[in-house]
Amino acid sequence: MSDYILELKDVVKTFGGVRALNGVHFQLKKGEIHALMGENGAGKSTFIKVITGVHQPDSGTMLLEGEKITFRNTADSAKVGIAAIYQHVTSFPDLTVTENIFMGQEIKNKFGFYDWKVMRQRAKELIEPLSKEIDVNKPMGTLSVAAQQLVEIAKALSRDARILIMDEPTASLTRNECLQLYRIAKELRDKGVSIIFITHRFEDMYELATRVTVFRDSTYVGTWGVDGITNSDLVKAMVGRELTAMYPEKTAKIGDVVLEVDNISKEGYFKNVSFNVRRGEILALTGLVGAGRTEVCQNIYGIMTPDTGSIRLEGKEVHIKSPIDALKLGIGLLPENRQTQGLVNELPIYQNVSSATMKQFVKAGQLDVDAEMSNAIALCKKIQLKANDITAPPSSLSGGNQQKVVVAKMLSSEQKVLIMDEPTKGIDVGAKYSIYEIMNDLACKGYAIIMVSSEMPEVLGVADRIVVMKSGRVTAEFTDVAGTSQEMILEASLKEKGGEK
Amino acid sequence: MKNLLKSRNTGLVLVLIILLIVARVVTPGMFTVGSMISMLQNNTVYALLAVGEMMVILTGGIDISIASQLAFVGITTTVLSTANPGVPGIVWVLVGILLGAVCGMINGALVGYLHMVPMICTLGTMYIFRGLAFVVSGGQWWFAADYLDSYRFWAITKIAGIPLLVWFTIIIMILAGLFLGYTAPGRRIYAIGTSRESSAVAGVKEPAVTFYAFVICGALSGFSGMMYTANYAIGYYGMAESFEMTAIAICVLGGVSITGGKGRMDGVAIGALIMAVVVYFISMIPGMSVWQKALQGGIIIVAVAINYFTERSAEKQALKERGALI
Repeated sequence: MSDYILELKDVVKTFGGVRALNGVHFQLKKGEIHALMGENGAGKSTFIKVITGVHQPDSGTMLLEGEKITFRNTADSAKVGIAAIYQHVTSFPDLTVTENIFMGQEIKNKFGFYDWKVMRQRAKELIEPLSKEIDVNKPMGTLSVAAQQLVEIAKALSRDARILIMDEPTASLTRNECLQLYRIAKELRDKGVSIIFITHRFEDMYELATRVTVFRDSTYVGTWGVDGITNSDLVKAMVGRELTAMYPEKTAKIGDVVLEVDNISKEGYFKNVSFNVRRGEILALTGLVGAGRTEVCQNIYGIMTPDTGSIRLEGKEVHIKSPIDALKLGIGLLPENRQTQGLVNELPIYQNVSSATMKQFVKAGQLDVDAEMSNAIALCKKIQLKANDITAPPSSLSGGNQQKVVVAKMLSSEQKVLIMDEPTKGIDVGAKYSIYEIMNDLACKGYAIIMVSSEMPEVLGVADRIVVMKSGRVTAEFTDVAGTSQEMILEASLKEKGGEK
Repeated sequence: MKNLLKSRNTGLVLVLIILLIVARVVTPGMFTVGSMISMLQNNTVYALLAVGEMMVILTGGIDISIASQLAFVGITTTVLSTANPGVPGIVWVLVGILLGAVCGMINGALVGYLHMVPMICTLGTMYIFRGLAFVVSGGQWWFAADYLDSYRFWAITKIAGIPLLVWFTIIIMILAGLFLGYTAPGRRIYAIGTSRESSAVAGVKEPAVTFYAFVICGALSGFSGMMYTANYAIGYYGMAESFEMTAIAICVLGGVSITGGKGRMDGVAIGALIMAVVVYFISMIPGMSVWQKALQGGIIIVAVAINYFTERSAEKQALKERGALI
């Protein structure tokens, strides 16, 4: 009997000419939570797909409880008790929670029909220890992301998973939901489930894992006990160089008010929201997911229009009825969901970059492709885009680099106000730092930046001023960021309908 | 969501009742039990095709070759049965189903395993099956006198005053409803129509599901091919031309989402009835029959608009339930 429930040695996987995994190792102990970290593009996703049988390695060995094993497909890995919960929830929004859990392994009665009663009962039994609030008869699509993730966990458990792979499960969760997930992960561990926990957050790792493995540039860097490694060592292992600070120094000069939001309300989303943002300033709009922050930004950007209240740009009242209006006025939005809202995957990277400013390169009715290209190259250099080929589609890039493309697109158009919705969501430390640098750089140039973020260290590290929302209302504003603590923000984001009783 | 779908069906039933009342007022003489039964008898072929088409549309695909399959299979069973008068008629029913299933296998293999685009793939097979119908028929026509009674028996024999063809259609609709709602293979059709990626992760094999959806569709087209010739006692290679469009229209009218994953058998059954009433009674009103096609088209547009709005309000409802509400 081996010490390890799962062991991978010298695994190599290539796609075309690209080495996605270059001789990586991994050892998972029974009943252990093992953090897997690394920058985007380090090979973590490919690694998971090898373990779950989606991809077959070119060479190397995989041992399950000391015995050599190969998977031809996902069914093979499921059979031995390996389950993965993916970063993007993979569910059926129109089908009920029960059906989502049992899809692919339906319980049938003796006539071959669905046994709805038994399935519902089983679903309840699986869900209840995880959450008391999930109704198994509701369509999956009506659940929050966190609740959907719990359903995915229930699904994995229903398949008697012994090895559970969680791919950045905390990326879109609120603080409370994270705590709930930690508790559940620990309970599973105590029941003997081995967990591979992929994350970008150090917090997750310290909270949960006993050991951590780091990949970098498709290679194995090392495995450490969580107690025996410092933050900076870990960053160094992931990035390959030392990051002196997590956040760049702020150098922008703050000027006059550019955008003023005055008492705007939108029924069902938010009420009486007021704030302003100044030239050269980074304003953080924070609070829990679902507090209405994104919706406020969408109202400023013209995706929705507020029912009441007014928006002033450089002192003049503006009526923004569509994103086109917003862009004309010089307001840009970097959407939270870069895949679906920020990028056009059918077009090459350079055209994505120049899509907002295409007009600039039109001469006598003809697109000057050379000018477009050289402009895109300059922008890509500026944001340190890691791309082999800017004529390839953005899907060829890692998450962090995709985000850079969206940022570059905004840089290429003339803006006064930039709204960045969770600009560093799901991207790694190194890429985060360069995004912060870009933000700082933009602020220096006089842009007013509104950053929506749920990550408190980021809010405190980057912002000049912090506005906190809870259930569609502004509950606090902190102007002295240095004197603000995480606890103060947290308190404000949990405050019940601020003192207006 | 469930309630909304139900209320959509309630709306369809209301439309049906209104149509019947209008029909009653406009054509009082025609509004008899006999004409109702003949209305059903003459429109069940559309309903059968719609049941099959529904399976494919639910996967997120489409099959525009069903009318050609109908013609090819109908001609083939006609040719074989008239050449072999000693063979019992039920054999030709089974041959029709099997031959249709083979057609479905071809479509299913091309779309499911070779990942061809359903619309284009079945556009190709539409011509192929229609061409085969021509080859098999040799351009010849068959009329009532050519058909054997044993062949026609399975469509036109009346039980409790209602022709077998109608009974078959009712039974098939019930079976299809049970299949789609209560069996694993049926629910997997919805699953792949909703999300192929999620299905793959859940261990649902998308190519296999696509394959059997097309096979069921083909089997039903084949069955309706045999039934069409047995019912009307007519056979030629150009028969049932553009019936696939009526079948698709019935699906959309019945609430099947053209992008897949949504739609129920009961809705499609009511949709088929509405289409039947429109087609039949309009042809009864003097001077109105020229409007039949245009009206059918109008119904499709209205149905799509209703689908859009019910889906939108369902989305809004979902947003409300999960979103931050003040």
